[in-house]
Amino acid sequence: MIKSVVSKEYQDLQEEIVELQKQWKLDLDPEAVRPSLEDQEALNAGVPIAALTVIDFKNSLFLQWIEELIVTLERYNPELETKLAGIIGLLDKETAIRWMDEARSFNQSYFASFASTHGIEEWIPQFLAETTLRPYLQLIAERVQGEIHHAVLGAGCPVCAEPERLAVLEEEGKKVIHCPRCLAHWSAKRLECAHCGNEDHKTIKFLTIEGDAVSQIQVCEQCNGYIKIIDTRQYIEKPSAALLDLNSIHLDFVAQENGYTATREEKLLN
Amino acid sequence: MTKYVKYVDVTKCDGCRACMVACKNWNDLPAEPTEFLGSVQSHVKTTADTWNVLQYIEHENGKGDLEYLFRHSSCFHCTDAACEKVCPENAISYTKYGSVVIDQDKCVGCGYCVQNCPFEVISLKEYKDKNGKEYRKAHKCTMCTDRIDEGLQPACVTTCHTGAMEFGNREVMIQKAEKRVKEIQGRYPNAMVYNPEGVGGTHTVYVLAEKPSVYGLPENPKVPTSAVAWKDYAQPIGKMMLGATTMALVGAFVTNKLFNKEGKGLDENGGGSDE
Repeated sequence: MIKSVVSKEYQDLQEEIVELQKQWKLDLDPEAVRPSLEDQEALNAGVPIAALTVIDFKNSLFLQWIEELIVTLERYNPELETKLAGIIGLLDKETAIRWMDEARSFNQSYFASFASTHGIEEWIPQFLAETTLRPYLQLIAERVQGEIHHAVLGAGCPVCAEPERLAVLEEEGKKVIHCPRCLAHWSAKRLECAHCGNEDHKTIKFLTIEGDAVSQIQVCEQCNGYIKIIDTRQYIEKPSAALLDLNSIHLDFVAQENGYTATREEKLLN
Repeated sequence: MTKYVKYVDVTKCDGCRACMVACKNWNDLPAEPTEFLGSVQSHVKTTADTWNVLQYIEHENGKGDLEYLFRHSSCFHCTDAACEKVCPENAISYTKYGSVVIDQDKCVGCGYCVQNCPFEVISLKEYKDKNGKEYRKAHKCTMCTDRIDEGLQPACVTTCHTGAMEFGNREVMIQKAEKRVKEIQGRYPNAMVYNPEGVGGTHTVYVLAEKPSVYGLPENPKVPTSAVAWKDYAQPIGKMMLGATTMALVGAFVTNKLFNKEGKGLDENGGGSDE
């Protein structure tokens, strides 16, 4: 693995979580998610497929996963034991479903208020909900992968609406955008801004890090958007999109410090 | 630790030389102007500043047709490397990936490795220090061990656009090579996997279209007996001898001191030294 700014310990933890999510996804009945691609109008408008999917959440699985996740977190950081104690007790069936729904729509304020109501640290509820939602999102992505050929400009991942920020170069230099959240992927033009569709080579630039032979940041002067591009052809073993995204986090810092964002920014015209 | 192999299928190579450029680029090696050799080939063989050379061979096959054969030639990274055996300074070693590397700080430029490499891939480079004193160091392909450390494939493999080179797990690559030979035997009846046993197998494994000799490669390379004798017998025995001599010296010194303390034959200026 390329040297990363992320500590080895945190990388190991994330690797373990990715592994857990893979296992959890296998626990799910493929019919537990029923995506609908019929509403073309909504899809063309950029509504993510996950929002058009019926999901049968299984409460027993959810609690089991939360428990496994807490055990893993505590193993890496024993201090979390007191902070995470009692959380399972708060998760009745209704709350569990609410968590999944709110995580799906990325409702940060709900989780913030949940945390303050119950006197727990703010990051905890959303982190747990997001981590346990991902197997469902990944299952949806897996089921519809064959139908995903492109994304709607500015709408983020067509499956889960995560902002587009990671692309890889595959064989023959094909640029493929990967969603580190649901692991969906789709092809994109080499010289095109994923956020606004700008194809003007004069306003698309590349930032590179000295000594880093595999990554570059493609930035768009039109919408101030950026996307990380990693040449995975050079890797001996291809890492998963989630880990690739984590280990290239320094590129996000560089891009954002230079005034670019992973979402589209509407520029004011005179 | 996984042992890696660089797999080179010469029958897929189109002689573009991008591997040579990628190697120079990654390893920061200077250009070496060369004389025209009468063919497209740029260098006669690998040198201290050119760690891989693309061979262009005009070969008449059995049917009287001309075959234009290409081969990416660089260090083979032998499992039993003669260079490692003969190095008196232990400057050459095996990495955990199976590649063979030279520690430039330890190398004294004696050239034993150059003389003993069965594939003639190591060369010495001359340097001058700031006092104008000349010294030499041995150089060769490192299999981009610095890239492997970061999970990346060697630069030459990454750049190959025909897929003639691949990099991966040793067993997988060898299987791939064997399968490929079966595929191409119709066109190249002499095709073979070149992974010579005389050096314990190599970590650059070739699918050759013709017999090794056509490419100027030894049919059955071996670690020279003298190299084995040197590393496995002469050096340890030498060290043992050195140990014995040192012990004798220490013994003599102690005896002498005791002798002196007893005041027999003691000079005013401190012992038997000849100052």
